[in-house]
Amino acid sequence: MFEDVPLIDTHAHVMYSDPDADDSRQRGLDAAYVEAADVLGIDILVVSCPMVRKPTTPEIFRHANSLVIDAMQKWPGRIWLTTYINPGWTREAIAEIQRTAELEDMVAIKLLWDYNCSDPVCFPVIEKAIELDKIIIIHQAHHTNMLFNRRHFDVDAADVVAVANRYPEAKIIADHIGGGGDWEWTIKTLAEAPNVLQEISGSNFDENIVDMQLQYLGADRMVFACDCSMSSSMGKFRALQAGTEDKKKIAGGNFLRLCGRL
Amino acid sequence: MIVDCNAYIGHYAFRRLHYNTGDGILQLMDRAGIDRACVSSAGAIMYRNSQAGNEELLEEIEPHRDRLIPFAVLNPTYAAWERDITWCKSVLGAKGLRLYPSYHMYKLSDFCCSEMIEAATELGMMISIPVRAEDSRQRHWLVQAPDVPLNDIAALVAGHPNARFIVLEGLGFRGSDLVRKADELPHNYWIEMSRPDPLFDKELQFVKDALGAERLVFGTGICFKYPEPALLRMKVLQATEDEKADIYAGNMLRLLGE
Amino acid sequence: MMIIDSNAYIGHWAFRRLRYNAGDTILELMDRAGIDQACVSSASAIMYRNSHAGNEELLEEIEPHRDRLIPFAVLNPAYAGWRRDLQWCRDTLGARGLRLHPSYHMYALNDACCHELVDAATELGMLVSIAALYSVADVRQRHWLVDPPDVPLQDIAWLVAEHPDARFVVHAGDSSGSDLVQKADELPANYWLDMAFMDPLYHKGLQTVKDRIGAERLVFGTSICFRYPESALVRMEALQATDEEKESIYNGNMLALLGQ
Repeated sequence: MFEDVPLIDTHAHVMYSDPDADDSRQRGLDAAYVEAADVLGIDILVVSCPMVRKPTTPEIFRHANSLVIDAMQKWPGRIWLTTYINPGWTREAIAEIQRTAELEDMVAIKLLWDYNCSDPVCFPVIEKAIELDKIIIIHQAHHTNMLFNRRHFDVDAADVVAVANRYPEAKIIADHIGGGGDWEWTIKTLAEAPNVLQEISGSNFDENIVDMQLQYLGADRMVFACDCSMSSSMGKFRALQAGTEDKKKIAGGNFLRLCGRL
Repeated sequence: MIVDCNAYIGHYAFRRLHYNTGDGILQLMDRAGIDRACVSSAGAIMYRNSQAGNEELLEEIEPHRDRLIPFAVLNPTYAAWERDITWCKSVLGAKGLRLYPSYHMYKLSDFCCSEMIEAATELGMMISIPVRAEDSRQRHWLVQAPDVPLNDIAALVAGHPNARFIVLEGLGFRGSDLVRKADELPHNYWIEMSRPDPLFDKELQFVKDALGAERLVFGTGICFKYPEPALLRMKVLQATEDEKADIYAGNMLRLLGE
Repeated sequence: MMIIDSNAYIGHWAFRRLRYNAGDTILELMDRAGIDQACVSSASAIMYRNSHAGNEELLEEIEPHRDRLIPFAVLNPAYAGWRRDLQWCRDTLGARGLRLHPSYHMYALNDACCHELVDAATELGMLVSIAALYSVADVRQRHWLVDPPDVPLQDIAWLVAEHPDARFVVHAGDSSGSDLVQKADELPANYWLDMAFMDPLYHKGLQTVKDRIGAERLVFGTSICFRYPESALVRMEALQATDEEKESIYNGNMLALLGQ
């Protein structure tokens, strides 16, 4: 898309399958994701594998990360790793972060549906990510259809801001603005935390969603991503009323900056 | 002179409104002989992000600031209300807030509501509370939003003696603490008169005699409602010319600091 | 290539401020996306108790732009006076079809009143488009006071079977796994699927639908001004189809439905 900046999907997935299970369907989906990236001109996929059986044990999250590492070998130079861990297994999670951080293209850790990110159990892994200068990608959404039946691991933008305020040195990405939920709430909340960026990903492509992100967060705090919603997300990126330099930042510049590769 | 403390601009979720733009509402005001009106956004009642309604309001009232006085709709349970209230004060120029607890999922006794009232008061803004947006018997079949109990408002005014409150669209004052216990409450609330009738059950007459004309303010509910019934109520209300002048405009002008 | 959008809205949405939601401003969005014509209905009518008031508002907005904006009427068969309103929609609004929102209007597609409305509209030569919940808004961002039930795709399949002479356009999420696609051979060929929310990539729902029931049964849609139009354009670009097939989706099928 841009000659001098790669287009980076900062929220991509490979599908989990148990060891020794027939994983042909999952691997087929992985190939479909790369194929979709080819069609849309996405250069780099930042991949995690967090959609696993819960509660997640160290065996599961180690295997999940190994599936991404397999994909990195299958599509060299195309796949970067976001390490997924369950913070509840503190010692094992930190060890896994340390282990995968030895890979050149491991760039982030992922928090999803194990604990609320503002739960103190998450602090050691957050601190480890900060120590290793890695990005922390946090699943969040303000689901208005679940306001009265939130689960302990459901994360809202306010929780992300709480973490950001506790760790102003952290590099945090709040994921999928279009991943369902009241996005006006989310954007207004995240506006208060300057060290939080947000993806444009998600199946929802409501008119004004990324323009409001631009207005409240600014181009320096947005990143391109799909989260498996390929056309929806690319459509939002095209729709965004921003200049070329801002779009380059969002396409890849901001993420490269966070990775220290700019 | 007539100042209407209870007016609305914008789109209401459940029914088409007319005269609901800045230009349109002035036509209705002219028909009714209303000089100025305190207007808030009808759209903001049901918007998840009510601030978007305040932004729409700004566009409508900007050419008519001599006659349209903005009131802001904010939801203390929604993200960033603290920033929005500053915008409403400094950019919109809002003279007050308009609260919809039933639609915005909080009670007047909630801490967030108290925080917002304190913040508004510090900014010199008054607090208006519509008891209802419309009659419960015609509410949309998908929406349950009960009327705000008058006694909840009484407890609120007692808890914020430095704030100034206007009760809009109220009815049934005779049995409420706002009248029965008026002597125990701070004199920091005013009653808008568009619903109580001075005839038949004579509720408006009763409220005026109990609290004094200085505690009543004129309101119509335009553009949700016709303005003429409120004018008729004033016409038949038994009160001196000076008292009526206070209700029509004087009390509200003092609240507005004019 | 000419583009006709089967799924567009003008007006006000109860729960969020919309942009480009007037007759002249939606044209700006259409021009940006290269859309020539759009079938528009009233967004306000979805939540108005008397949805017909939204149709009256729609008339005011589209009148200067009839060359590009094709009106569709929102009617609620569970509400008073729909028969008279239907006639007005045909004669005065010039509506080419209906847009039904059963989720918000509290009736089921198999209710007698719905059948009557479909029959009456068909007799007047009008299309019947059905908007499932997602076509307007994701349930995860619904207003905290409003919890409408969704329209099961199975019910739509049943409705099209019951009204073989009617012509339906279905605005729903990914229908690739539903009877509308999987059992299409058992249903009359009287319904067309709006592709707005189906992706040809990754899960490939749109590709599946196109390969299964044919490009001639798909129509282009965006759901502007609720949503950005660009995502639908990306879907069409990525769809594996011949130029002729794409043209039929972009305009040919809808033109045929509109009798043009």
